[in-house]
Amino acid sequence: MSTIKEYLTSYHSRCDEYFAVMEENASNSLSSTTVAYEAFAQCTERHFQMEEKIMFLEFERKTGMTEGPTSMMRHEHTQMRNLIKQMGEAIDSDNKDKFFGLSETLMILMQQHNMKEEQMLYPMAQQHLTSDSDRIVDMMESMIVE
Amino acid sequence: MELNGLSIDQAPPISAPVRFYLTAPLFAILAGLLILFSDSTTLMTRYSMDSIIITHALTIGFLGFIMLGSLTQMLPVLAGVVIPKIDMTSKVSYLFLVFGTILMILGLMFENSIANLLAMSLLGIGFTMMITVISLAILKVKNFNPTIKAMATSLVFAFFTVLMGLFLLLTYIDNDFAQYRNMIANVHSVWGIFGFAGILIIGVTFQVLPMFYVAPRFKQFCKKRVVWLISAGLFIWLVTSIFLESYSIIGKAWIATFFWAFATTVWMKLSARRRPISDVTVWYWRATSIFLTLGSFVWIFNEYFKNEYVVMVAILIGGGVILSIMIGMLYKIVPFLVWFHLNAMGYMTIPTMNEMINKNLAKIQFVLFMASLVGFIFSFYIPLLLQISALSFTISMIILQYNVVAPMLIYRKIKKTKPDFDMSALTIS
Repeated sequence: MSTIKEYLTSYHSRCDEYFAVMEENASNSLSSTTVAYEAFAQCTERHFQMEEKIMFLEFERKTGMTEGPTSMMRHEHTQMRNLIKQMGEAIDSDNKDKFFGLSETLMILMQQHNMKEEQMLYPMAQQHLTSDSDRIVDMMESMIVE
Repeated sequence: MELNGLSIDQAPPISAPVRFYLTAPLFAILAGLLILFSDSTTLMTRYSMDSIIITHALTIGFLGFIMLGSLTQMLPVLAGVVIPKIDMTSKVSYLFLVFGTILMILGLMFENSIANLLAMSLLGIGFTMMITVISLAILKVKNFNPTIKAMATSLVFAFFTVLMGLFLLLTYIDNDFAQYRNMIANVHSVWGIFGFAGILIIGVTFQVLPMFYVAPRFKQFCKKRVVWLISAGLFIWLVTSIFLESYSIIGKAWIATFFWAFATTVWMKLSARRRPISDVTVWYWRATSIFLTLGSFVWIFNEYFKNEYVVMVAILIGGGVILSIMIGMLYKIVPFLVWFHLNAMGYMTIPTMNEMINKNLAKIQFVLFMASLVGFIFSFYIPLLLQISALSFTISMIILQYNVVAPMLIYRKIKKTKPDFDMSALTIS
């Protein structure tokens, strides 16, 4: 079974793929990207919730750091959710410039965020949660998105 | 927030990198004007005073400033380390470097020893401060990835490049040292371009291409070995060029081959990128690949032409590669920083990144800059082209200055208004 770090990192690449498909469709016409947008938004939301509802909580319980890195990551999730929502609105109003402006911003924000997680948070989590790694990955895998 | 030396915060404040970014184009404009009023024959040789002054307005004033600004911004994100006292350090060293560069230009131009001496101290202190704090931060890194290794290696070359540069400035103050000038200048320029700038660019590219363009990742061999192989090449070149000059082409060919391979790889990765967008930053990457390929080969073959073409190599690699990448990066990083910092303060209605820099102006800037590079190269054969190209270069840099100032004006304007949302509950002190 993959470790927490491997599992969540692979999810980042998966969301990147959905992001690329969404932009590819959007470059033709915004109306043709609705399905791809939904797929990307769902992938990202699932990833956020796997962290917020499972991994972060386990990490905070084990380390006692509730105001630590997880709190900053939650804050960045809020920023990204906002951008994704605005992208949906840009699709609805068929505003291509707005859509690509938002997607560009989201892309950099998301990559910066992923890098911090992959470089710092996941290795820390893996280190503190080694003995529970399989259980946590299992829980994330079977989680139902709200 | 700090955890065992690890920080996950978005450090540093926006002013730390931006003060370097906003000043850099001014030095490029100055360089453009200096070329405009120079004689084409004096610019044909690398050791003429005009060439040295113009080169350093660009290498210290433009490239050095952008590289230092970017290190303050990227290191905390890439490596999760806090650069000690970065706000104060960047402010002080910035002032030292600005005045140091200006005094150096004036000192060399008017052969004034006092100005040169002051420039030497200011540049020495300014660079040492920045290199020291960045190195201290790197020492705290726990998970070394290939980009951070490249940054660390590049800093070693930066240190020696600066040291040699200070010595070279000394040779203009005290003539006793002048006999070593050409030899040291040669090492200074090769290590500066390929060691400091080249290795830093390679390291950052490993991250940036897959990240921003969803391009395929670089192969492990590339990420793990290339920086060491280039460093080894730079040492081989150093030893051969000093002791076995007839063999120095081996070192050159070694270094050039890896840079050429890198240029080809960048081209291929870009072609295989998953994001369909082709903005001006992609054009800059493409241009970089082409100029790096040409520059690498001209540099090797320059050996057979008794250094006639070394100025051409400087235009191809200094201008076509290093300047291109830096400008392309500015177009992404400045609007993002503005957006990011405003958003973190609770402003929700912020123009998107694409609305901060006028796309058409960015394209015009690109075209004028590329035209000037091609013009500079052909001015070897048609001297008349030099002035037109210098004009084109200067205008493109004025537009660049405007393009990086525009997002900052938006930043200032929005900051004067009230945030849409109080983020104080979410920010962590």
